[in-house]
Amino acid sequence: MVKLDLLAILVPALPLLGVFITGFGRRKLSAYAAGGIATAMVALSFIASLILFLGHDGQTHIVHLFSWIHVGAMDIPFAFQIDALSLWMMLVVTGIGTLIHLYSIGYMHDDPRVATFFAQLNLFSFSMLLLVMGANFLVTFIGWEGVGMCSYLLIGFWYTTPAFNYAGRKAFVMNRIGDVGMLLAMALMFYQFGTLNYVDVMQQGGLMASGNPLIVTATLLLFLGATGKSAQLPLLTWLPDAMAGPTPVSALIHAATMVTAGVFLVVRSSVLYELAPYTQDIVLWVGVATALFGATVGLFQNDIKKVLAYSTVSQLGYMFAALGTGDYGNGMFHVTTHAFFKALLFLAAGSVIHALGGEQDIRKMGGLKGVTKTTYVTFLIATLAICGIPPLSGFFSKDGILASTFAANPVAYAVLVFAAMLTAFYMFRLLFLTFFGTYRGTAHPHESPKVMTVPLVVLAILSAIGGLLNIPHIFGGHSWLNTFLASAADGIGMHPLELSAGTEWTLMAISTALVLLTIWYAWSLFCKKTTLDGEPADMPFLKRLIAKRWMLDELYAWLFEKPFGWISKHFFSIGEEKIAVPLTAGTGKATLGFGEWLRKVQTGNSSFYLFAMMVGVVVLLILTYFSA
Amino acid sequence: MEHVMTAIRVVPLDSYLVLSFLLFSIGMVGALVRRNVIIVIMCLELMLNSVNLLLVAFSAYHSDPGAQIMVFFIMLVAAAEVTVGLSILVLMKRNTDSVDMNILNRLKW
Amino acid sequence: MEVLALILIPFLAGLLLLIARPAAMARGIALVSTLLSLAVVFWLWYTWTGVAVTGISHDWVPAWGMRFVLGYGGIGLLMLILTGVLFPFIIGTGYKQPVGDPVLVNALLLFCQSALFGVFLAQNAFLFYIFFELTLLPIFFLLLKWGGEHKRAITVRFFLYTLLGGLALLFSIAYVTLQTPLPHSADFSVLAALHLPMHVQMWLFWTMFLAFAIKMPIFPFHSWQPETYTMAPTQGTMVLSAVMGKMGLYGIVVFLFAIVPEGAQYWSSWVIGLSLFGALYAAVIAFRQNDFKRMVAYSSMSHFGLMCAALFTWNAYGISGTMYQTFAHGVLMVCLFYIVGAVSQRTGSNDFASMGGLKTKMPRFALLFMFVVGNAIALPLTQSFPGEWLMYNGLWQWNNWTAFAGVLLIVLGAIYMLYAYQRVMLGPDRNIAVTDADDEEHTFLVPLILIFMLVGLFPNVILHLVDGPVQHLLNSFTSLP
Repeated sequence: MVKLDLLAILVPALPLLGVFITGFGRRKLSAYAAGGIATAMVALSFIASLILFLGHDGQTHIVHLFSWIHVGAMDIPFAFQIDALSLWMMLVVTGIGTLIHLYSIGYMHDDPRVATFFAQLNLFSFSMLLLVMGANFLVTFIGWEGVGMCSYLLIGFWYTTPAFNYAGRKAFVMNRIGDVGMLLAMALMFYQFGTLNYVDVMQQGGLMASGNPLIVTATLLLFLGATGKSAQLPLLTWLPDAMAGPTPVSALIHAATMVTAGVFLVVRSSVLYELAPYTQDIVLWVGVATALFGATVGLFQNDIKKVLAYSTVSQLGYMFAALGTGDYGNGMFHVTTHAFFKALLFLAAGSVIHALGGEQDIRKMGGLKGVTKTTYVTFLIATLAICGIPPLSGFFSKDGILASTFAANPVAYAVLVFAAMLTAFYMFRLLFLTFFGTYRGTAHPHESPKVMTVPLVVLAILSAIGGLLNIPHIFGGHSWLNTFLASAADGIGMHPLELSAGTEWTLMAISTALVLLTIWYAWSLFCKKTTLDGEPADMPFLKRLIAKRWMLDELYAWLFEKPFGWISKHFFSIGEEKIAVPLTAGTGKATLGFGEWLRKVQTGNSSFYLFAMMVGVVVLLILTYFSA
Repeated sequence: MEHVMTAIRVVPLDSYLVLSFLLFSIGMVGALVRRNVIIVIMCLELMLNSVNLLLVAFSAYHSDPGAQIMVFFIMLVAAAEVTVGLSILVLMKRNTDSVDMNILNRLKW
Repeated sequence: MEVLALILIPFLAGLLLLIARPAAMARGIALVSTLLSLAVVFWLWYTWTGVAVTGISHDWVPAWGMRFVLGYGGIGLLMLILTGVLFPFIIGTGYKQPVGDPVLVNALLLFCQSALFGVFLAQNAFLFYIFFELTLLPIFFLLLKWGGEHKRAITVRFFLYTLLGGLALLFSIAYVTLQTPLPHSADFSVLAALHLPMHVQMWLFWTMFLAFAIKMPIFPFHSWQPETYTMAPTQGTMVLSAVMGKMGLYGIVVFLFAIVPEGAQYWSSWVIGLSLFGALYAAVIAFRQNDFKRMVAYSSMSHFGLMCAALFTWNAYGISGTMYQTFAHGVLMVCLFYIVGAVSQRTGSNDFASMGGLKTKMPRFALLFMFVVGNAIALPLTQSFPGEWLMYNGLWQWNNWTAFAGVLLIVLGAIYMLYAYQRVMLGPDRNIAVTDADDEEHTFLVPLILIFMLVGLFPNVILHLVDGPVQHLLNSFTSLP
């Protein structure tokens, strides 16, 4: 047990140590030293996680460090929970994290603030590990806020560009809106259960009746938190803007790990969600709507990272759709495979951007497959994976989700298949416009250094074979990941799929055929000839609407930002300057004015004083007479 | 002492009341309407003495010498007050060459 | 004896300054004196056993129930810690951001500290009142002499406004003392045992609350605050927001909850409504302020609103959270006003328009500022978070919707603080001639940052102090007939 405790503490402590070393030494460390230390810390953390994982006995271990907040009946420990779910997330976070740290050494080595960058990246790893390892909601919330803060810092890493700062602030504030739900959910659960420990909450919550309004409220509020963090409707507009950050940040935070925190949270509380069918429906439909939304907007974007960002939004929608149907295993499976191929896509995109000296507009790319060979091949693998071409990893996870959605609700299934076709279209549009045809830019492309391409290759291998983790029964597999995760402490609800093998085969065939068809269509449009989109202003109405992200940003600006600014301004100019201050000043003025008037009584004429005195005495006498 | 009391009681109490009321009213009206400071001071004395008279009368009728002690106090204070008042009057006459009290109206506002 | 030392050390040091007038060493002497007080406070903390302590008890004017009683319970000790910890920093501000004559400024600050210790030590209502008003005098002179624009008008308004509240309090104390059995006594222990009839408690609540509401301030009694904070010299603003405002919260616990508990209970929904509305109102206003200092002033008001609301929820979480937050908020305000002072000292104005893009020139300062922003928006593992979490729990247990309104503050707080940070630090370099944070500023801010990070990690050191007294308070209330 001591060994387990120690390792469990080491996992988040190592990146934290890295924060201190790179942070304090940021002026002295060279770019490679800082990057090397930061990478080593996360790599060591990965090894520690791996040891924990290999030694995992299927039990839930609570590593209690100290009592954090203790008031009256509230005793919230600072504790970690080591079980299948947290172990899996630890592996994903540190594993992908190591690769991206490594990649960043190459990507960021020219930046003067590279050590600061690595300190913040390490801080992110630390926060993310706290998030997944927390043994209660509040410790998770530490990480939850911590990753939000790191995201803010890293999006605005190049702080001299106001638009980037705005994007960072937007991300943080939208996350905070979700946090309102999270905080309220925690307050409710504490009020109801008297504890926030996952084990106790799930145990007590599991005893309640299905559809209990308290559970429904709690799960809805938690889901609000998840929508903020995982960029689901309606809180998704921050994620595309978050691409302002350096590309490794987009890969690590805004694709592979942080944005899946919402999925993690829902899976963590799956016992409660199982008891709230109403919330599950909402989760399903929010997921489906977001998948469609992201996929449509991705169609006409011209910024390579923006396309990937909307693709992330869309894929996260798939994950939530899976959670909505109660298929937590495939949800987590998709988290994992998505982490592989989306991190790869971003890193490869970063490699392209790096190769072109910072160019992000796909209209100014093309023909790069000859120059950047490794990048091209890995990008291709990732694209095939995200489109769900068998036997790459994305095929298994996405097909699992489609199958369980079909079992739950065929309409949702149809929408998701349509979104999958759109995904194939915009991904291949991206691939063809970037790597095929002739080069349309002015820079001199060159392949990235080894330190960047090695992570690409590793991730490409993982994207290709990641499906092995969870091969479903119809392929003769044992759904290893599902089984493994089901051993988690709070019992991830498992629904054996109630579809016949024939139906499953049919579904697979349909989606694969449709995707292939779409790829052919994309090929004819963008590879055979090169069709470039102009500015949104020149497009027909519907296309323009989609290209401008369904006007969601404008809608929010009109609905919230403008009124808020207006209220803020007028609360001050009316409430403060016209009412509150004049009121106090007025009290003083009124007193002065009254004195001004009253002093006229002092005429200086003694006879008048005598007369006034007499009147006063008479009045007093009369009063005394009547009161007696 | 007793015969003084008896002597006072010869006159009915009502008469004392009426007399002192009259004296007081004369004093008060005089103090209010006259502008000569000397007369105002005299009127004030008149008011004081009307009260003294009343006190003595009541004292006799109630057989309570306490009120008479009060009379002595009032006389004492009145004497002191007149001293001050008359000195102010003298100064006023010297400085303004007048005893009209409405001249002294600068102490206002 | 230690309790008397707490009042005397700053007072005598202040006198020494005034008599000897050592212009060069004035700050040093003041700093040593505050550190000495801090040592005494820590001694009290170290020897604290969880039982209320009465240090000194003397008759003074027995006929009116005035007695000279000094002592402290857990909550009082927390306030002493707050005063003791923050004053060295407030004095230290003068090194980098000097204001006027160091002798006079430091003497006034020391007198203020002496009076503040008195407030938190007093165990007799009259004594409390005397110290409560005494704190005003040094601040009054500080503001009057070294304030900014319109200092006379604003200072006088502030002074009269708070004095008005004080008078209402004096009246209440006199009234309550006369209700005690003979011989009258205004000791808190005697007053707390009093069971006033409901109709009396109903009005007595407001006459007492007025004083504390103005002090904090709570909407709608706040109109003196933004102007005064903006105009006051940095050290004055720190004292006002970090420590003097806390007298209001402390007074509510000591007076309202002990003497008129049923009245406080009866009016609690009104107070919570006002406070929360004020908190949201101030947070919204803070967003569009163009003056850095005024923005921080509104943020302080917003925090006070939340604290006051949580205090009136009448449960362990709300009250403990508020008491804990008094300390957190004090540390935060000293940090923020120091930063405002340091930045505006460099750019020559409080106006955001004169700032922007400073991070390129002052990266170290920006980092320190970022830490403070983290505390201001209550990130977990900073000092503010446990307090806010407890307060939200308190509000939730009182009513779900008030909790919702309270939690909105974390969104608004993030909006205005990050916007302010951006307007000061981020953006393209505008070539404003500024220097980076020097050693003195590091010596000032780094210990404060360490304090708020460590307390955020181990909030129990503070929470343990208030846990017992709060339980006691709640128990004594539930045991009422």
